[in-house]
Amino acid sequence: MAEHTVVFDAAAEVSVPRGTLLADAARKAGVEISQPCGGQGRCGRCAVKVTKDGVRRRSTLRLSAEDVEAGYALACQTVVEGDTEVTVPAQEKIARLLTTDRTVAQVQVPTGYSAAADQTIKRFGLTLTPPSMVDQTDDWSRFTAGLRQQAGIELGHISLPLMRQLGAVLREGEWQVTVVLDLAEEAAPRLIAALPGLLPDSAPLWGAAVDIGTTTVSLWLVDLLSGEVQVQTAEYNRQISRGEDVISRIIYGSKNDGGQEMRGLVLESIGQLLERGCRRAKIDASEVMKMTIVGNSTMMHLLLGIPAASIRLSPFVTAVNQVPPFRAEDVGIGIHPEATVDCIPGIASYVGADITAGVLSSGMDDTESISLFIDIGTNGEIVLGSHDWLVTCACSAGPAFEGAGVMHGMRATRGAIEEVWINGSTYEPSFRVIGGGQPQGVCGSGLLALLAEMFLTGILDKGGNLNSSLPTDRVREGEHGLEYVISWGHETKNGDGPANDIVITRVDVDNLIRAKASIYAGFTILADSVGFPLEAVDQVLVGGSFGKYINVEKAVQIGLLPDMPWEGFQFLGNTAVKGAYLALLDKHARARISDIASRMTYIELSADNSFFEAFTSALFLPHTDMDRFPTVAKALQPELETEE
Amino acid sequence: MPIEIPKDKWPGSVREITLGATAADGGTRTSTVTVGGEKALPYMHFEAQMPHKPVIALEIRDRLPDDWSTLLLEHWGDTAKDPAAWAKAAEATGVELLQLTLSLTDADGNPNTPENAVAVVKSVLAATGLPLLVFGTGQAEMDNVLLVAVAEATQGERLVLGICEDKNYRTIVAAAMANGHLVNGRTPMDVNLSKQLNILISDMGLPMDRILMDPTTGALGYGIEYGFSVMERLRMAALQGDSMTQQPMLVTPGFEAWKTKESKVGKDVPAEWGDWLKRAIHWETMTATALIESGADIVVLRHPESVKRIRVAIDELSAVPEMA
Amino acid sequence: MALSGIQIYKMLPRTNCKDCGFPTCLAFAMKLAAKQVELALCPHVSDESKAELAESSAPPIRLVTLSANGNSVKAGNEVVMFRHEKTFYNMPGLFLRVKDDLSPEAIKAAIAPAEAFKVNYVGIDLTMDGFAVESVSGDPATFAAAVKATRGATKRPLVLISGDAAVMAAGLEQLDGEAPLICSANSDNWEAMADLAKSHKAALTVSATSLDELAELTGKISAKGVEDLVLDPAFRQLNSSLIAATQIRRLALRKNFRALGYPMITFPGDAGDVGRVSVQAAQAIAKYAGFVVIDEFLPEMVYPLLVLRQNIYTDPQKPIQVQPGLYEINNPTADSPLLVTTNFSITYFSVANEVEGAGLPAWLLVTEAEGMSVLTAWAAGKFDSERIAKDVKRFGVAEKINKKQIVLPGHVAVLSGELEEDMPGWEIRVGPREAVDLPGFMRDAL
Ligand code: SF4
Repeated sequence: MAEHTVVFDAAAEVSVPRGTLLADAARKAGVEISQPCGGQGRCGRCAVKVTKDGVRRRSTLRLSAEDVEAGYALACQTVVEGDTEVTVPAQEKIARLLTTDRTVAQVQVPTGYSAAADQTIKRFGLTLTPPSMVDQTDDWSRFTAGLRQQAGIELGHISLPLMRQLGAVLREGEWQVTVVLDLAEEAAPRLIAALPGLLPDSAPLWGAAVDIGTTTVSLWLVDLLSGEVQVQTAEYNRQISRGEDVISRIIYGSKNDGGQEMRGLVLESIGQLLERGCRRAKIDASEVMKMTIVGNSTMMHLLLGIPAASIRLSPFVTAVNQVPPFRAEDVGIGIHPEATVDCIPGIASYVGADITAGVLSSGMDDTESISLFIDIGTNGEIVLGSHDWLVTCACSAGPAFEGAGVMHGMRATRGAIEEVWINGSTYEPSFRVIGGGQPQGVCGSGLLALLAEMFLTGILDKGGNLNSSLPTDRVREGEHGLEYVISWGHETKNGDGPANDIVITRVDVDNLIRAKASIYAGFTILADSVGFPLEAVDQVLVGGSFGKYINVEKAVQIGLLPDMPWEGFQFLGNTAVKGAYLALLDKHARARISDIASRMTYIELSADNSFFEAFTSALFLPHTDMDRFPTVAKALQPELETEE
Repeated sequence: MPIEIPKDKWPGSVREITLGATAADGGTRTSTVTVGGEKALPYMHFEAQMPHKPVIALEIRDRLPDDWSTLLLEHWGDTAKDPAAWAKAAEATGVELLQLTLSLTDADGNPNTPENAVAVVKSVLAATGLPLLVFGTGQAEMDNVLLVAVAEATQGERLVLGICEDKNYRTIVAAAMANGHLVNGRTPMDVNLSKQLNILISDMGLPMDRILMDPTTGALGYGIEYGFSVMERLRMAALQGDSMTQQPMLVTPGFEAWKTKESKVGKDVPAEWGDWLKRAIHWETMTATALIESGADIVVLRHPESVKRIRVAIDELSAVPEMA
Repeated sequence: MALSGIQIYKMLPRTNCKDCGFPTCLAFAMKLAAKQVELALCPHVSDESKAELAESSAPPIRLVTLSANGNSVKAGNEVVMFRHEKTFYNMPGLFLRVKDDLSPEAIKAAIAPAEAFKVNYVGIDLTMDGFAVESVSGDPATFAAAVKATRGATKRPLVLISGDAAVMAAGLEQLDGEAPLICSANSDNWEAMADLAKSHKAALTVSATSLDELAELTGKISAKGVEDLVLDPAFRQLNSSLIAATQIRRLALRKNFRALGYPMITFPGDAGDVGRVSVQAAQAIAKYAGFVVIDEFLPEMVYPLLVLRQNIYTDPQKPIQVQPGLYEINNPTADSPLLVTTNFSITYFSVANEVEGAGLPAWLLVTEAEGMSVLTAWAAGKFDSERIAKDVKRFGVAEKINKKQIVLPGHVAVLSGELEEDMPGWEIRVGPREAVDLPGFMRDAL
C-alpha cells in the first residue's frame, strides 16, 4: 500500500499508509490533537487546517462551507490520500470556528444614540449669582430662574426633601450647582438631584437596567450620556427560597406578611447587584439617577408590593399592566432617592414586561420576515410574527436551563461547566469550565450539552432512561436512581470523595427533558394556533439567561430547538435586560414597547388538550416524531462511508 | 349519475405478526395466529381487503385468582384451580389465543418463583396447542425474574411476553430477543407514549414484527373514550405510514371491564343497573365492541359468553358485504 | 375549506381598534377560525371579505330536532369523522319501540319502566330519550290508539313508524304541537309521506338500501320543502351498516354532499338476539347514528349503552381525567399508607404504576382537580388543603385506615401547614416530588 508523508506544523513529519486518519497520523507524529468526543466527528474540536491538500474528508459535520474552503478538516474524519501538510490551530481558534456555537453578541450602543435627542434624564451645570444685600431673591427663585435662563427649563416638580437641601447645596457649591432632571413629562420636568459644584461634561450620568427574572436577576449599569454599558451583573433571585416558580411566589406572597417578605427579598437581590455593580464602576449607588425595570407580571407586582393573587386565579387578571413612573425611594430601591423608576408595561398575567422588552430588543417587530423568538427561562416565553402581526404564549419550563432545580446546576459564572463532550467508546467526558480551573457545577448551556452528549453516546435512551449496562463506572446507582458522574470529587472545587462528585441524576434528566419539551410544545402550538407553518419561519431568535452561548446543534439534538438550518439561529442572550437597557436609553424605544404591547396577541396554551399532546410528544429525545428532526436522525445512523 | 364514494388510499399498513410457532418453526404449537396487515381503517372493505380478522384470547391465571369477580369464579368453577385444565376449558370456547397471567404470590402468600412460573407455563403449553401470551404480575422486579426464566424455558415458542413499560422494558425485551419470543408493550392511553415505547423497544434490536402494542383502553364508563380515540389515532398514523405505530394492537377489555364496580359488585347497587351477570357481560362486550371498532387486533376477554358475542360481531364485521 | 387564523386575519382591517371586543384583529381572527364568534362583531370588515368568510359556514350535516312537551332530542350538526378531531356534538337519542299489536294497556305497561328509568353516572342522570310506535296492524284506528296510549304514558318525543300514509296520518292526528319523526319515506310512498311531514311539521325518515337511491329521494323530498330529514340506510348487518354510515358521513363532511347531509337512524332492535342487539347498538353509538331504536327495555343493557354514549360524546379537548375516589393499590389493609394526588390521568397513572410496580400496598386518594396535574391544579387553586380535606371526608377515608396519616406530593409541600389546620388530628407527611421516588420513600420513611 502506498505511503504518504504528512507534515504537522511544518515540523513533525511522518509517513503513513494511504487511508490513515489524520488523527492517527498526528498521534504517530507525536502531535497533540484533542478529541473530546472520541473521534466520532461530533465535537469538531479536532479541526486542523490542511495547507497542502492530500486528504479526503469523510464528514465535515461541524464545519461550514467557508471553513472547508479555507482548508479546515476534522482530523478524526479525514483520511490521508497523498502527501499532506497540516497546521494544528490553538483550541481557542477552533472554538470560534465551530459553526454551531452561537455566542451572544457584545452589547452595542444603539447606532445614532444621542443623549440630547433620546434621553429623558438630563444634566445641567448652573452658575448662579450669589445673593447679596442688593439681590435678596430667595434661593428657590434664584435656582428656578437660573434653570430657566441657562437651561431653558421651567421646573414642574420638586420634592420636599430636595427643597429642604437646596440652600445648603447652593452654598456648598458656592452657587455652582449640577442639576439632574427627568424630562419624560415634557410639560412638567421633575428635579431629581441638585448637587454642589459643577461636573465635567465627560462625567458619566448613571442609569441602571434591571431584569427581574423568576430565577435570575440581572442588572446593567449604563452611562446615559454615552449610552455605554459599564457593568453587567446577575444573581439568583432571592425569592427562590420561597418557591421556584411564579405560582409559589404568588401563593406565598398572598399569605400574611408574605407579600412584604417577597418584596424585601427581591429588593435585597437588586441591592446586592447594585452594590456589586457600583463597586466595580467605583461609584456610589446614589449616583444612579434612573432605573428601568422589566420582569414578568408577577415579579413586577411583588416588587411594587401590589397583591398578585388575581394573576393566578381565573379569570387571570393583573392588578396593573402599565405602571406609572415612581421615585426610587418609594419603591425602596437604594439608588438616588429621587431617581425615576420606570417599570416597562406588560400585557397580561403571563405576558409581562420581559416579553415586550424582549421583542423590542430582538427587533422582530420591525421586519417583514417572520421570526420565532424563544426566551428560555423559568417561564419559557415565545413570540411569533413580524411587523404585521405578533402572537405570544408562555409555558412553564422550570428553572433547569438556568441551572436551578438540578442537583449540580449553577449559574453561568466562574467554575461552571459550560460545554461537555463525551467519548462515544469510553464514555469519559471532557468539558470546558468558565474561567478555566476546577469545576463547581454545571450551568444551563453545559446541561444542554451534557444531555445531548449522553443521548448521542447511548448513555441515555430516547426516553431519557440511563443505561446501566455500559462498560463504565460513571453510570451508577445513586440516591435518586441511576446517575452519571461528570467529574469525580477530587477533580472538582468541591473536594475529594463521592459526595463531592458532580453528577447528573435521572431526576435531573427528567427535569431537563420536561423543560425542553414544554418549550418545544409551546412554539409548535403557538404556530399551529394561528395556522402558520413552522418551516416557514425565517429566523429563530433565542434568548435566555442561561449562559453566554448556546450550542445550536446540541439544542436541536435534544429537541429544544426546531431542526432548521443553523444559519437561521441567532442567540440574543438576556433579551429582557437588553430591552430594559434600550428603553432606559431611548424614549423612542420606550414608546415602541408600548406599541408592541398594544398589538401583541396572547394565546392561552392551557385552553385545551393540544398543548399537553404536543408536550408528551416532545417528552422524548429528540422527539416522538423523528421526521421533525432529520439531521438528528442522520447523526444517529451508523456512519455510512461514501466512497468516491 | 351514481355517487362517487370518497375512498382513502393509505400509504402505510399495519405490520403482520405471527404468534406461536409450530414444530416446523421450532415451537410446539399446533396452530399459529397471524394478525395485522390492515391497509384501511377497520372493516372498510370497500377500500382494502382485510387480510386477518381480529382474534380473541381468553385470560387464565397460574392459580385461582383472589381478585376476580365471583361471577367469573363461579363460571369456571374448579377448572380455575388447575391452569392446565383451565387452559383446556378456555380453548374449548373457540378462542384463538390464551393469555396466562402470573400471580405475585402463591395461594399461601409466598412470593412466586421462576421455577413455579416455568412449570405452570409448561403445563399450559402441554395442555393446549394454542399460541400463548404470558403476562407478568405487573411488578417490575418480579416480572424481570419470572419472565426471563419463562422465556428461556420456552425458547422458540414465539410466546408473547408482557408487559413491557417505558420504565421497565429492557430485561423483557432482551429475554424475548434471545429466545425467539414476542413482546407486548403497554403504555397509558397516549398516542405518543405508545409510539415512544415502540421506538425504545426497536432501538434495542428486537425486530418490529415481534412487537405488539397495548395502548391501554380503560373500560366502558372508566375512560374508554380515551382508549377509543388513542386507538383510532394510532391506526390512522400507521396507515399514514408512521412506521413506529404500525404494530397490531392488543387490548384487554376483559381485565378492564371486570374490574369496574358494575361488573364486580352485585349487592347494594342501584336497581336501574339491572341483572348483575347480564350487566357484567354487557359491560365486557360493549367495551370490546368499542375497541374492535377502533382497530383492536387482539382482544383478551374473561367470560365465555362475551367470547361468543364478540365472535359473532367480529365475523359479521369481517365478512365482505355485498355492497362493498 | 376552513381558514386559519392568519388567513382570516389578512382579510380583516388590521387596525387593532378593539371595537369587536378583542385586543387585536388577530385575536378576533383566531376566534373566528375556531367558530367561536360571529363576523358581525367587527364593524369595519369589507364587503369583499364578508362574502369570502361567509362561504362554507353552513353546517354540512343538518340539525334535526324532535320535540314534545318541552323535551327535545337533537341530531346532526356534526363536523368530524373522528371524535379526537374536535368532538361529537349531539348524542344519539335512544328510543324504545312498541308495536300496535299490543293493547293500549300493554303499551303503557311496556313504556312505564323505560319512562321511569333514570340512572346516575358521574353526576349525570341518564334516561331514555323517547319512544317509537310502529304499526304492524296496518289499521289506522289501531295505530291511532297505540299512539294515543304511548302519548299518555310519556312526555318524551316520539317516532311513528308505518309505510302507509293513511295509517301514519291517523297516528299523527293524535299528536298536537310537537315535532315527531315519521318513518319512512321510500320510493313508493315518498310524496304522501312528505306531505304529511310538511303538514304536521314532522321530521321525515328516508329509507333505501343504496346511497344513490337515498340521495335521489332526499333530493325529491327537499324539493317539496321538507328539510328535516333523517336517513335510514336500511342495512341490518354490522359490516354493511358501518360502511354505509361511514360513507354517508364522509360524503357530507368531505364533499359537502347536501343530499346526504342529514343525521341517521338505526334499528338494532331488528337484530332480535340480545347479544347482537347490544353490539349493534354499541356500534351505532360509536359510529355516527343520530337515533337508535331498540325493542326491548333491559336496564342492564340500556345502562351501559347510555354510558357508552356519554363516553363517546365527551369533549376530547378536555384533559384526560380519572374518577376522583379512593383507589386501592396492591390490596391495602387498614395499616397501609394513604397517598393523595389529583385526578389528571397521567398523574394518577404515574403514581399508581410506581407504587403498584414496587409491590407496595397503599391507598391512593384521587381528588377532584378538574383533570389537572398536581402543579397545575395547585397553581389554579384546584388542589388545596380545603379540597383535600373535603375529599377525605367525601370518600370515607378515615373509616378505611387506622393511622391518620396522609402523604402529600412533594411539589405541594407548602400545603402541609394549612392541611394540618383543615384536618385536625391527622399527621401530614410530605412525600417526594417525583413518582419514581415514591417506593423508596414509602419503604424508608413511612
Ligand atoms: S373591530 Fe375589526 S378592525 Fe377593530 S380590532 Fe376588531 S377585528 Fe380589528
